[in-house]
Amino acid sequence: MGELEYILLFGLFHSVTYLVFSLGFSLVFGVARLPNLAYGSLYVLSSYLAHALSSYAGLEMYWAVPTAVLLAGAVSLVVGELVVKPALKMPVSVFITTMAVAYIVEEVLNMLMGLRPVVLSLYPGTSSILGIAVSNHWLLVVGVCILMVISLTIFLLRTSTGRAIRAVAESWEESMRLGIDPLRVLRVTFLVTGIYAGVTGVLLAPLKAMTPSAGWSPLFAAFAIVVLGGVGNLIGTVVASVIYGLLEQAVVYFLGGGIARVVPLLIVVLTLVVRPQGLLGRGE
Amino acid sequence: MAFAKPSIKRRLVRYVPSITIMVAYSCIPLLGIRGFWLDVLTRANIFALLTLSLDLYSGTTFYLNLGISFIAGSSAYVVALLYRYLGMVPEYSIIPAIAVAIALSTVIFLPSIRVRGVYFSVLSLLLPLIMVSLITSQPLSLYLGGEGGIPLPSLFSSYARMLPPRERIPFLQLTWFYLTTALTIVAAVLSYKLAYSNFGFMLRAIGQDEELAEASGIDTTRVKLLGFLVSSTLAATAGALYAAIRPPVTVDVLIPANTLVPPLTAVILGGMGTIIGPLATNYITIVAYELLWDAIGRWRTIAYMLLLIVLVILKPQGVVFHIYLKLRKAIATKLSSVTWR
Repeated sequence: MGELEYILLFGLFHSVTYLVFSLGFSLVFGVARLPNLAYGSLYVLSSYLAHALSSYAGLEMYWAVPTAVLLAGAVSLVVGELVVKPALKMPVSVFITTMAVAYIVEEVLNMLMGLRPVVLSLYPGTSSILGIAVSNHWLLVVGVCILMVISLTIFLLRTSTGRAIRAVAESWEESMRLGIDPLRVLRVTFLVTGIYAGVTGVLLAPLKAMTPSAGWSPLFAAFAIVVLGGVGNLIGTVVASVIYGLLEQAVVYFLGGGIARVVPLLIVVLTLVVRPQGLLGRGE
Repeated sequence: MAFAKPSIKRRLVRYVPSITIMVAYSCIPLLGIRGFWLDVLTRANIFALLTLSLDLYSGTTFYLNLGISFIAGSSAYVVALLYRYLGMVPEYSIIPAIAVAIALSTVIFLPSIRVRGVYFSVLSLLLPLIMVSLITSQPLSLYLGGEGGIPLPSLFSSYARMLPPRERIPFLQLTWFYLTTALTIVAAVLSYKLAYSNFGFMLRAIGQDEELAEASGIDTTRVKLLGFLVSSTLAATAGALYAAIRPPVTVDVLIPANTLVPPLTAVILGGMGTIIGPLATNYITIVAYELLWDAIGRWRTIAYMLLLIVLVILKPQGVVFHIYLKLRKAIATKLSSVTWR
């Protein structure tokens, strides 16, 4: 029984973090019509920035973390403006430019900080859940992630900017007829999703060793979740995140972390074979 | 649609620049170029195969096959594993390795080739990175060489051992250069013929509008699959040769920054789908990359990426192919004015 509880508990914890990360990825995917391959770099960049601000600039962690998150949002905005927007006419270009940005961030971090992982300080203490000792930092992560999912849902459903984002994700042409400026929406989407990637990065930095190339793994997880849940489907993304988190933890527990890297590949290939529109997505 | 065939004279005139370049390139060792720069050119030949692979499929269909690192890496690892577990030297293992890599990549990519959209491209980027994780983590690292890679004897080294020690390295360098040059020339001619054949136009039609291509009677899945198979053959050949010429085989061959970015830059800078442009750019960028080492060292990778971004945004149609067209026109005008008997 201990095994099952462990997989359930940590599977759900990971699911919540994947959900926050995937929601941001899915939002850009929906609005820009293409995956932003630089999204994973924002996750890494925020944790490196928080580390640099606290270690080299002498900022307290509670100042360094929000500053790093805002900077990640700003970088995302710049990527959207300088790299994605001019390349939108040719879809294949967005793919290449965002991939190039991801490699630039990785190389710069490699050269400036080296390959040694960055670990931020943990929120102290442990608690017991289902008889399993859990770091309090995990509870903080889960709490913040749930708050972020709720606030994003309210933002998308209740605010005019959120409605504009949904309209553009549905159709650029139709939204323009309604008087919405899709490029402005793209700008807001990049800023918001940059912040979401940044928050996930600084929250997970104390739990996972952040290396310059650590952004690819969550990026592929997010892609697998979006494919499984159906592009632009909020409930699908939630269900897919839970399935992904549980499956990944089960594989990690029984077969080891190395083999677990195959999970996103397995999910994408199986989904494309069995149900290309995703679990809850609409057919073409 | 049938076009009138150009006269033999016109065809000869059209191909004179390409044939001259190929002959001149093959004569490079006769100029006394040896050692490091001959090695660089051999590597450029191998990368030319990767560039052709990327351009033939992605340059025409606009389905970015970012998995050329995976295909090349798979065949490189099969060459290494066949030596490690069966004692098979590269002379015999290159062809089986190419076949295995093609079969493996087809099985994995087939579901994404069937559907439209970005799935194929993301999956192709995902694969090499997953393979790197698998190779470097337990328990598979024990069997697949881990970070250190798998050592194996280089291609033709058994023949080189029969020569006096001083002649061995020059012999190997020359043999590798001519082998890879011959393969590159064959691959380039075939790719050019294919890219401008009916099949090539079907691939381009898919790239322009897949739904329209399907409506006009093209079996898009079949054409994409065939295009992918040809492209994979080139990438797998490059991987197997890389393993055989530059052992040991390590995860470096799978890392997209090493084996995807240079061909991708060549394809974009050269002009997507034009074959000649990317091929020429491949040689220019690889030689420039080596020359830049002294000037900017490790920053050259970043310079590559920045160049890629700027080009994609400002000149998505490429640069080198247009220069080539202008040159060819100028030479053809000169030659046409000559009276032939």
